Amino acid sequence: MNTALKNIRRSPFQALSAVFIISLTLFVVGIFTLVTLASHTILLNFETKPQIIAYLKDGHTTDQVAKLISTMTATKGVKNAVYVSKQEALEIYKKSVGNDPVLLGTVTDWGIVTADILPASIEITASDPSAFGTIASILEKSDIVSITPQGKKEIDFPQDVISELTKWTNAIRGAGLVLIIALTVVCILTIMIIISMKISGRRVEIGTLKLLGAQNLYIIKPYITESLIYGLLGAFFGWIFSYIALLYSTPFLAPRLGGVISFPIPFLVNLLLLAGLLVFGLLLSLISSFFAAARFVKRSR
Amino acid sequence: MDDIDFSVSPGEFVIITGKSGAGKTTLGRLLIRDLLPTKGKVVVDGEDLNKIKPKSVSLIRRKVGFVFQDYKIILDKTVGENIAIALEIGGYDKKKITGKITRLLEMVGIPGKEFLFPNQLSGGEIQRAAIARAIACDPPILFADEPTGNLDKDTSIEIFKLLQKINEGGTTVIMATHDVTLIGLNPDRNIHLEKGKIVSDTDGKPGKAEEKHKIKKE
Repeated sequence: MNTALKNIRRSPFQALSAVFIISLTLFVVGIFTLVTLASHTILLNFETKPQIIAYLKDGHTTDQVAKLISTMTATKGVKNAVYVSKQEALEIYKKSVGNDPVLLGTVTDWGIVTADILPASIEITASDPSAFGTIASILEKSDIVSITPQGKKEIDFPQDVISELTKWTNAIRGAGLVLIIALTVVCILTIMIIISMKISGRRVEIGTLKLLGAQNLYIIKPYITESLIYGLLGAFFGWIFSYIALLYSTPFLAPRLGGVISFPIPFLVNLLLLAGLLVFGLLLSLISSFFAAARFVKRSR
Repeated sequence: MDDIDFSVSPGEFVIITGKSGAGKTTLGRLLIRDLLPTKGKVVVDGEDLNKIKPKSVSLIRRKVGFVFQDYKIILDKTVGENIAIALEIGGYDKKKITGKITRLLEMVGIPGKEFLFPNQLSGGEIQRAAIARAIACDPPILFADEPTGNLDKDTSIEIFKLLQKINEGGTTVIMATHDVTLIGLNPDRNIHLEKGKIVSDTDGKPGKAEEKHKIKKE
């Protein structure tokens, strides 16, 4: 350990660049882990929500609604159908936007959002996606389902949103993975070069150690320890940066995702992220120094 | 080296003399398998160095303490740290290292110098430190390659006497030197090399060597 710390003190800029590249890599890993977790939660939220929502015209009667619901529930492939009144719609809206005064309309000229401006709806959950067509045709024929200015019945199929969201999530995950792999390779190469330079800079000393009967493990141990120190520091700084980024973006994210993800993110999640980054950082540095040491062992035979 | 054949008994003090390029250093390097013979074999402590596995080379090197012509003292480490490295390599108990260094430095005649860096020492003191490092793990064999090469006559004699003292403790000492005046200081045996060949080998004193080896074993 002493030798490793001495090596770091001797070449602080090399140490700094190693810690920087690991921090950067692990910062990106941390951010993408959080994004992946968030997108997974959002997808799960959409998947557990009603699959079809039909918005109703104002002035519908309870009999009309009851009739439509009984038709729906009697349809094959429908799990359940629920009526959501204007007042309930307002509660759902308030819950989804949190206390954002802009979205609640309290600080705008549009006026406060009230139950009157929100439509009542029927939310239908299908047990079989193949029933979507039948459900849609029943809703299309219903008189109480409202009509858009384009003349279409106002029916939402969140399933489309889910598939769209899945597509985007997968694209983000894919891009993240490619970025992480590229940064990991750069990181491994950087540490490998730094450790190799250090080893070759002390080859006279290493030669002496070999003549004194030192085994390869004894010789490379300080360099592996040094690399592990880089890994630990890099993981810690990477986590700090991702934690700061998360705290910084919380006021922006909370009103938009508040209904799906609870903010602030529990500290336990961040601690688990730290543990993961530490393991990843140590693995990175271990692999890098192993490659550097393997080159040395091969050359010094 | 060309067509040479000799053996050294445990406890012997052998001086190998010869001009520069006679093969003295090559002999030492063969002894620690820093070089492999193109022909023939080198046997150390019953092990044929041609046949040992690469992993076992370090074990052989721990059996042969080596005092290098250019000292090979690590310059950015203190005398104590240089010796501690040899002790660590030899698997010496870490708690006892400090005490052992103190004793070694007293033995080689530079007590209290463990915290000094090599550039704070004289040539003779560095050589003593190098000897302390070489004998740190009590190797059965000590090979000193031109240990007096860069020293004045008085210091050379002191170093020679130190090696004799180590030999009296039972360690087999092989000293390579071009300084033929040291032969007069009564080593057990002198092998003279010329152009890689042995041109003379004085009789050893097996009885005396055996006695010293017995002391070492005890």
